[in-house]
Amino acid sequence: MLDSAMAALASLADPSLLLMLLIGTVAGLVMGLIPGLGGTGAVAILLPITFGMEPAQALALLIGALAVVHTSDTVSAVLLGAPGSASASVTMLDGYSMAKKGQAARAMTLAFLSSMAGGIIGAVGLTLAIPLARPLVLSFASPELFMLTVLGVALAAVLSRGNIIKGVSAGLLGLVLGMVGTSPTTAEERFTFGSLFLGDGLSLVAVALGVFGLAEIASRASQRKGQHSNITLGGGWLRGIREWASHWTQVIRGALIGIWAGVLPGVGATAGTWLAYGQAVATAKDKRQFGKGDPRGIVGPESANNSVEAGDLIPTLLFGIPGGVPSAMLLGMLLTYGIQPGPSIITDHLDLMYLIVWSFAIASVLGALFCFLSVKPLARLTKVPFAALAAGLVAIMLLGSFQEGGQLGDLWVMIILGAFGWLLKTTGFPRAPFLIGFVLAIPLERYYFLTDSLYDGLGWMARPGVLVFLAILVLPILWALVKWIRARRRTNLDDGHRDERPEDDESELKNSTWSLAAAGVFVVAFAAALIASTGFSPEARLVPQLVGAAGLIFSGILLGIEVRTALKARAARRTSPGWTPDAGFALKTFLWMTGFLALTAGFGYLIAVLVFIPAFLLVVARARTKVAVAYTLVLYVALLALPSLLPIDLPQGWLQTII
Amino acid sequence: MTILVAYAPAPEGREALKAGIAEALLRKTDLLIVNVSRGHHELEPEELKEVEARLAENGLALTVESSVLADPGDAVVQIAQDRGATMIVVGLRHRSMVGKLILGSTVQRILLEATCPVLSVRTDGL
Repeated sequence: MLDSAMAALASLADPSLLLMLLIGTVAGLVMGLIPGLGGTGAVAILLPITFGMEPAQALALLIGALAVVHTSDTVSAVLLGAPGSASASVTMLDGYSMAKKGQAARAMTLAFLSSMAGGIIGAVGLTLAIPLARPLVLSFASPELFMLTVLGVALAAVLSRGNIIKGVSAGLLGLVLGMVGTSPTTAEERFTFGSLFLGDGLSLVAVALGVFGLAEIASRASQRKGQHSNITLGGGWLRGIREWASHWTQVIRGALIGIWAGVLPGVGATAGTWLAYGQAVATAKDKRQFGKGDPRGIVGPESANNSVEAGDLIPTLLFGIPGGVPSAMLLGMLLTYGIQPGPSIITDHLDLMYLIVWSFAIASVLGALFCFLSVKPLARLTKVPFAALAAGLVAIMLLGSFQEGGQLGDLWVMIILGAFGWLLKTTGFPRAPFLIGFVLAIPLERYYFLTDSLYDGLGWMARPGVLVFLAILVLPILWALVKWIRARRRTNLDDGHRDERPEDDESELKNSTWSLAAAGVFVVAFAAALIASTGFSPEARLVPQLVGAAGLIFSGILLGIEVRTALKARAARRTSPGWTPDAGFALKTFLWMTGFLALTAGFGYLIAVLVFIPAFLLVVARARTKVAVAYTLVLYVALLALPSLLPIDLPQGWLQTII
Repeated sequence: MTILVAYAPAPEGREALKAGIAEALLRKTDLLIVNVSRGHHELEPEELKEVEARLAENGLALTVESSVLADPGDAVVQIAQDRGATMIVVGLRHRSMVGKLILGSTVQRILLEATCPVLSVRTDGL
């Protein structure tokens, strides 16, 4: 084991790997600064670049980025009071207060050093998990693996923030979407409606970039003005270092909380950082300074949000169930290389595991170092208005999702799913279970049929491992039920320690006509899946029908609840938010994206970029003409050079096929 | 110099408020209300005005305070420390052993972590 760890370290001395790690780190830092991208965006955008690479190089690039996205997201939280990611909003509480007192440098030092330590401790946690889990993982057979995949989707659905029924519905719909394409057991085509393009299934990059990336752009593109603040970096670097060293217990505690939050599917960086903040407050004797610039309020959460990403990798690599959205994409990537996470990665690809560990640790250190060296330019970058960034991001995301299959159909799927993702986001559906369901759909079905053919009847249910997983599956559901009943009876006033923010600030269209419509979409989708699956052979039909039926039940309940709240609102003469300005803006943004795609289909990608970018910048972002021209030219030249540097294809239009 | 009442829209909270007002009038100190319940269930404005009037008769002030902290126990202790409260008043209700073990108790945490005296008021008596 030590041998493979050292061998992996030695392999990192290979210049090409080291270069990839460096590129990944820098890319991750830049993407951490862009609001809304986070780890998901970073992996989704970089994933297409890795398609032509060896697995080791691809992993170095992706892990490098993943390890540091939460290092740089602090910069805008501290300097502008506008967090680069949801999880950095915790740092904002104390960091921004500190910055307002002229001690931004102190806050940054605390944050960067804690992020670094969190990343390293996370990597250590991942290392320790390998020998601990090894005997366990090796004892798993297909029944346990089947239960694990079920558990992965179910836990993600239950533990995600918000309503459980919404989470389960989203997870089940993800499963249905994942079953589009060729059935793993009978090789017949399902839900393809005779289309050859859908026969390969939907592209993971397109789904992830749509549901998360484009949805995020649509909900933020209305921000035309950059954030302006007159906060300067100030001094306090040394003081920050001293304070960081004196709060080392908080750093370790934060990192451990982060790892735990990462291991649980569906509990991501946001919940993990709030947990860390909550415990920092709870264990502090003097609580006066929290929210006004207490170093302990920065150290713990910052350490936690980096270690979450390492914690996410533990169940992903060892059991094959993703702990979060970025790791779900990583899982998808490993599968395309033919590396099956779970038992086989431990027996056959231990070197890759250790490569991931080392990459994570090294990138954490490098990330903090780069942040220290380049705080000033980074701070300037955070002042760019999101609308201006959005133009380039749309172009890059569409190019990225083209790489997997080289088909324009993927891009249309991506825009449709982007609109759907926006609907989910604004109406309070968790999106993580959706993507985790999508990734696990095929493994779930495959393991089920393996189990079914190897064991008679339900005999596999009595295997001890399966029983344990069943218990783990049932417990959180019971727990959630107890909490729900107590909340209804209002007997929960005195309950436990609350670490999560109660308000759901992201989903402003909850309990409106929009969420009613979203529930309707779910019911229709599940019903359609049930009806469409009646035409399949019995073996291909079983799992889709089970999932469809369960989905119909859950989304039916959801629709009932939504109708009831709508009726109540009408009885109370409350006007629910109908067509809000934000919704209008999101629609407009999606229309812009559709226009871009139509241009691409007609005249090719490069020409579409030349038209779309300046138009979007001038009309939507209201940028100055000079800026728009320079922006377009730089992007155009970069895109022109890209295919010769990286294995990337630019979409060709109908025009080029004629010529 | 102020007395802090942890208020929640439940019998415990009302009992605490009653005791807190009595205590403030007795000691001639200001009153500080912290809303601790989940969501936005706070003291009704009319009720608040009534309390304010009663205190004003005696030349005392009423303030309502909130905290950025998510946990109500931590919020109460933080505000008490910050304002230099002389006493915290909390309402108490019977909790089973198992309930406390699994869910913990906010009041218990306030009792253990507060840096000033805590007056706890029972609603369910004997």
